[in-house]
Amino acid sequence: MTVAPVAIPEAPAPPGRIRHWLRSPVGAQVTAAVVFIGAWQLLTLIAPRVPGPIEVVQFLYIEITGGSHGGIVRGQFFQHFAITLQRFSLGLLIGFVGGLFVGVLIGVSGLARALLNDTVLVLLTMPAFVWAFLTTMWFGITWQAPVLTVAFTTFPFVAINVAQGVRAITPELKHMSTAFEVGRSKQFRHLIVPAVAGYIFAGLRFAIIVGWNGILLSEWFSGQAGVGFRTRYWFDANRYRGFVGWVIVFIVFIVVVDRVILNRLQKRAFHWRDASEADFIEIEERQVGL
Amino acid sequence: MAKVAIDRLSKTFPPPTKGGDPVVAIGDISLEVEGNVFVSIVGPSGCGKSTLLNILSGVETPTRGNVSVTEGERPAHLGYVFQDARLLPWRTVMDNMMYVRDDGDAGAAKAARYLDMVGLSHTHEMFPGQLSGGMQQRVGIARAFSVEPDLLLMDEPFSHLDAITARSLRDHLQELWSATRKTVLFVTHDVVEAVQLSDRIIVLAPGGRIFDDITIDLPHPRRAADPKVATLQAEILGRFEEMQPASTPA
Repeated sequence: MTVAPVAIPEAPAPPGRIRHWLRSPVGAQVTAAVVFIGAWQLLTLIAPRVPGPIEVVQFLYIEITGGSHGGIVRGQFFQHFAITLQRFSLGLLIGFVGGLFVGVLIGVSGLARALLNDTVLVLLTMPAFVWAFLTTMWFGITWQAPVLTVAFTTFPFVAINVAQGVRAITPELKHMSTAFEVGRSKQFRHLIVPAVAGYIFAGLRFAIIVGWNGILLSEWFSGQAGVGFRTRYWFDANRYRGFVGWVIVFIVFIVVVDRVILNRLQKRAFHWRDASEADFIEIEERQVGL
Repeated sequence: MAKVAIDRLSKTFPPPTKGGDPVVAIGDISLEVEGNVFVSIVGPSGCGKSTLLNILSGVETPTRGNVSVTEGERPAHLGYVFQDARLLPWRTVMDNMMYVRDDGDAGAAKAARYLDMVGLSHTHEMFPGQLSGGMQQRVGIARAFSVEPDLLLMDEPFSHLDAITARSLRDHLQELWSATRKTVLFVTHDVVEAVQLSDRIIVLAPGGRIFDDITIDLPHPRRAADPKVATLQAEILGRFEEMQPASTPA
């Protein structure tokens, strides 16, 4: 008797080194950055008025180290950045606290929802440049204008997200808290805030992006110092490498805040989700006889 | 000694659909429970058992009638065990125990003692997601006992668990109750469970009326396999069949 040979499928060939590199998170990010810089460099060949990456890096080096840009103009990175950061932090704090308060109110009270929900939605649709204009008209060229621009642009993003989060809290946990007569302040700290943490982070992430845009516009229109002012200064001076340099500072700030601060805070707030140790529990179950 | 007085209590919910009839969850019941007794409220689904506990705990308000839950001259302090554990998933076991207390270190020692009594002394720093359903429910039971309530309300606490886990938890509950002798109102649809645990069984019928009120005079702790317990279970199940002849297929 003869037995027909069975075809054994060949194992797929291992991916090549380049493909393996591209599939790794670091490899993909580095590749994307290299491609972007390459495309930017190519663009300068087509459009000579666009400053190239090396030119911009040289500008930023002088601006950061306080060196001379030629003539009497010197780099002033830290002065302007610190001013903007102060204004932004204060505006964000006002918008965040106000949004948290109003969001919780809308989430827990039907009356507050009826009174405030539509107003917050209207505020949400207002572009940042409208607030930048309005605050400049109200307060003139003062520090209040950029601070309030940030506060007004961030507030509705936080409020809407927090309200959604509060409404999503399971009624069973509220019922449990009522049955055990847990105080309102304790419920707020241990039930409401952790339950809406995901929504708070989502709101905060959007708020930081729109608030940062808002402060750039406000300082562009009405500032005498700050990142927005300095960006306009180089634009008005027809020095586009300065303009692009500050735009890059602007973008890097958002990326750093998101990746370094928000991601870490989020990981810390949700570390309970990662705590899943099924094998350990099975052993424990046997030990206690269940 | 806690006292529960229910006087001509009714609870009607609005119609679930437009143009439908209102739903009568509880229909004009009067009842008194007093002393360190374990009382089960038994009945088929939808007869108002859980609604009764929700009214006693203040989560629901009655449509008519009065309820009072007192300890001497003051309102009684309540503990509650739910069908599911209802733990805060983002807080550790010990933090969950402390969520319902307001007394710092002394409270922590007490909470630890009750966790120890249900065999969970090793779980203080673990999150609920790391525990099995049975272990979570034991935390829920320990939490309710740890507030040292005058009256403990338990709403089908073992109905979501498998039979072996439920049996083990019933034994834990009997031990805890024997050690503390709290007044307990225990809602269940399981007659076997009710007979094993209770001094008194109140049987509710559909429409939220009292069908029977049975005193069980057997010493604690009881085992489900005890012949006296089994005989009583069979007798009460027989009465249940009298209550629902219409639902029995011809």
